[in-house]
Amino acid sequence: MSTKASAIGQPSPWVLPAAVTLVLISFLAAVFLGIVDVPARDVLSALTGSGSPEARSIIFDIRLPRIVTGILAGVQFALAGLLLQTITRNPLADPSLMGVSQGATLTVTMFLLFTVYLANPNSHSVNELPIAWLPPAGMVGGMFAGGIIYLLALRLDLSPLRITLCGIAVGAVMHALAIGLIAGWGSARIEIILEWMSGSLYARTWDHALFLLPFTVVGLAMLPLIYRPLILLRFDATVARSFGLSYRRQFSLVLLVSCALAASAVGAVGPIVFVGLIVPHLARFLAGRHFPLVLPLTIVLGAVIVTLGDLIGRLAGGAEEVPIGVVTALMGVPVLLALLRKIP
Amino acid sequence: MPLSCSQLSVNYGRRRALHGFSLAMEKGEIRALIGPNGSGKSTALQALAGLVKASEGRADIGGVAVASMSRKVIAKKLSFLPQQPAAPDEMTVAQLVRQGRFPHVGLFRSYDRRDEEAIEWALESTGLAGLADRTLQELSGGERQRAWISAALAQEAAILLLDEPTSFLDIGYQVEVLDLVHRLSRERGVTIIMAIHDINQAISASDRISLLEKGELRFDGEPKALAESGLIEKTFRVKGRFVEVAPDKPPHFDVELTKLPPSNS
Ligand SMILES: Nc1ncnc2c1ncn2[C@@H]1O[C@H](COP(=O)(O)OP(=O)(O)OP(=O)(O)O)[C@@H](O)[C@H]1O
Ligand SMILES: [Mg+2]
Repeated sequence: MSTKASAIGQPSPWVLPAAVTLVLISFLAAVFLGIVDVPARDVLSALTGSGSPEARSIIFDIRLPRIVTGILAGVQFALAGLLLQTITRNPLADPSLMGVSQGATLTVTMFLLFTVYLANPNSHSVNELPIAWLPPAGMVGGMFAGGIIYLLALRLDLSPLRITLCGIAVGAVMHALAIGLIAGWGSARIEIILEWMSGSLYARTWDHALFLLPFTVVGLAMLPLIYRPLILLRFDATVARSFGLSYRRQFSLVLLVSCALAASAVGAVGPIVFVGLIVPHLARFLAGRHFPLVLPLTIVLGAVIVTLGDLIGRLAGGAEEVPIGVVTALMGVPVLLALLRKIP
Repeated sequence: MPLSCSQLSVNYGRRRALHGFSLAMEKGEIRALIGPNGSGKSTALQALAGLVKASEGRADIGGVAVASMSRKVIAKKLSFLPQQPAAPDEMTVAQLVRQGRFPHVGLFRSYDRRDEEAIEWALESTGLAGLADRTLQELSGGERQRAWISAALAQEAAILLLDEPTSFLDIGYQVEVLDLVHRLSRERGVTIIMAIHDINQAISASDRISLLEKGELRFDGEPKALAESGLIEKTFRVKGRFVEVAPDKPPHFDVELTKLPPSNS
């Protein structure tokens, strides 16, 4: 039939299964490999419930929560990037460009300032820092930045380029404020904020995974609802509206979903740069003209890239591991350059 | 009355693009909207479709104010072909045309036989069945324009607004599109307004003509009456004359390829 896609331009049928297999492989690699050498046999017995308490603790209290947090955050960053790129019709849009990450950085900094510095200005001990509260604090800032962008976008009548420029401006202001606050701090706090800002899965616990889980689940559950609007949002507003789309409502909904996904992820693991930017491009490249594949590929690749990136960071640095944000940034640049050659 | 408007005015910032535009369409009528560049044709069509906000006046579909309807309800009754629509380059013709079914399938309903038939018919009517899997950036200007016409057709609305549907087409496809417009109106009772630059196509392909100049309606009536009014020469500032082609056909405007000196009136 003429309306069905022909064989030409179809992506290979194994693209999606291959990507899912890749998730499993990277997940297993991340469970079995680490700085502390746990023999494979011990990992297996720990996973099945037996094994030494030491091995079990490494697997269940350190590696698994970290991997799961990474997967959830990776999915959320990638998805948020895809949604933002779609509604702004800007291939460069991602949570860090649109100000969400900077908003989170600002509130995390403010939170540390108020709860720690003002409360007891003499303390330099890390133990007293309320690290467990960083994810919600960051989330608030990310949503706040998203809210400002949304209001500006409404006022300026939703022109995609202007929305992007607003996001950059909002991000720059918030980043400057955060840096301004940090200058003048003691070293322990700076270490925390720097670690957080570099985007890291170090010392992430099940609490972080549980914090992210509802956002991941709700975000994924929204996808069927926004799937068709997402296709129409790639057109001019006039065209989309003449096809019957309530542009403003759908635009706002997608922006809200992407901000919630990005802000919660930034809150939990810091701004892991480039995941939101690169993964959707990679997914589009693999999907070719078969648009329905872009969304599932984005989700799957988001999980893979963060899991593998974190594994590389853990293994490469030895005792001083390299934060995942640094790894994705370093890996991201060549991928971006390679993909750019495909874009006319 | 399927479509009408009264005293529509549209402003872009402080510039008035349309002033007191009125129109009443019969079911199955074909109307040509003509006028110089910037005279407000596209603005009038967009105001009728509810795509720009009118500062005064109102447009009605079936007696109901367009401003009070949701986009989805409007899209079921009226489809609109923009003048120079932009689409994501990597989208295929078939994917574009499928979007025309959005008002019918909504967010969740899957495409059924009816939808697939409408898409197939839309592709075939515009001679695109063989190009369905090409991406839009792999098309020529005229093929791309036909893809957009096809998407508007797939919507299967009873009102069709076409903004310069023939401007990028070779003469063969120009005739084809005008013929399609004629068949839609006569066989399916579709009410059609098209903005068009070719005076002779406007005269021979439409039941009535509206002539706009600087946002104001200068003429509303049958092609023959327009030919007799002398407004064409005046509005477009050209010299020419209407010549009889056949006794039962509207006359043909024959333009002289020298410009009139700017009038001071
Ligand atoms: N989005 C806009 N913002 C500001 N002014 C606009 C906008 N669109 C159109 N105009 C102005 O409104 C007037 C009418 O424009 P419109 O597009 O309706 O003309 P048109 O008759 O369709 O012209 P053309 O034959 O060139 O397509 C013009 O003066 C134009 O400059
Ligand atoms: Mg126009």
